[in-house]
Amino acid sequence: MAKKTTMTKVRRPVKRMARAATKVAAKAPREKRASRRAAEESHVSAADSMRGKYVYCVIQSAEPLKFGAAGIGDNSSEIHTVHYRDLAAVVSDVPLGILDSTRENVLAHERVNEIVMRDHTVIPMSFGTIFKTRDDIVQLLRSAYDAFGDVLSKMRDKMEFGLKVLWDRDSIVKDIEDEDEGIHRLKKEIALQKGSTYFARMQYGRAIDAALQSRSERYGSEILDRLRDVAVASRINKPIGDKMIMNAAFLVSRDQEAAFDTRVKSIAAEHEKLTFKYTGPWPPYNFVNIRLKLERV
Amino acid sequence: MAVERAAGGSSLIDVLDRVLDKGIVIDAWVRVSLVGIDLITVEARVVVASIDTYLKYSEAVGQSVPVARPALESRPYDELAAENQALRAELKATSGARQQLARRRRAGA
Repeated sequence: MAKKTTMTKVRRPVKRMARAATKVAAKAPREKRASRRAAEESHVSAADSMRGKYVYCVIQSAEPLKFGAAGIGDNSSEIHTVHYRDLAAVVSDVPLGILDSTRENVLAHERVNEIVMRDHTVIPMSFGTIFKTRDDIVQLLRSAYDAFGDVLSKMRDKMEFGLKVLWDRDSIVKDIEDEDEGIHRLKKEIALQKGSTYFARMQYGRAIDAALQSRSERYGSEILDRLRDVAVASRINKPIGDKMIMNAAFLVSRDQEAAFDTRVKSIAAEHEKLTFKYTGPWPPYNFVNIRLKLERV
Repeated sequence: MAVERAAGGSSLIDVLDRVLDKGIVIDAWVRVSLVGIDLITVEARVVVASIDTYLKYSEAVGQSVPVARPALESRPYDELAAENQALRAELKATSGARQQLARRRRAGA
């Protein structure tokens, strides 16, 4: 039960990288102090053997699997699986130490998930988790066996799609000015009024804000409504920047993928004024959250 | 507009938005780095802290819409401040006039 697990999870690299390297180096020669030369040799080979296992995702499989060599770091290391009963962690060997969240590494993490997803339901691991040994991963799978099994069955044969909707705020404001009588009148008043237009401008600003808000809500709920019967679940994230009016993720069954796809495209075709950013399939990142803690032994 | 589906890995922003803190997340690192202990390897055992799956369909986009400012927050204050200022000016003017009037009356008496 109290088996020890060792892992590293790291984001901010360069400085720490140096520190980690010296740590590893400092440890290695301690074992062999017979001769200086032997120590130096063992230092090199110890550094070589300091390989950890990077975990990409957890899937259901009792059979060992291989997924090619498109993993993180040097491409020679094959992506393989570590098993506990019918669960498997998809891993590849990486140098033990600090893993930088560079573009290359982050995209490699995602790429492996996408490859595995073609034939399996995955629970994605967040970026940057490296375990020291195979046993540590077995220990992880064993400790969270029920949780992983439960989540895997809920996510079975489902994929995530991303849909961001953006608008050109200025052109929408123009539309509102043309269409909304009250706002149209206010705008005229401001243009004609002599002296202070403070209150009129204030009123105008408030009316525009309210109109924008209700319009974007209307778009949002209309789009959600249209996708309801082709998706299992949806999550609304915070929009990024002031042009985005919707930042959503949808969980879609494999057998409804085509229907979802067609629906998104037809919604987009009907809205000339909106820009759609449609991505996927993704591992179900937005629909699974498993927090693991490490308790010190 | 016509839209095409882009593969997940084609936008770094979308990838980062997902992989950094979603899915299976191990908290220990955060804790360790907060405490400031420089441990590269943590001797520990894994415990499930929480499991959440989100399998509901959202009803509405709700509060998170990015229109300029929240309508209720700053506006009434601006308005009140302006009104306050206008009233003060008026008060000053009338009280000045009243004082003048009083002075004149005294002079007349």
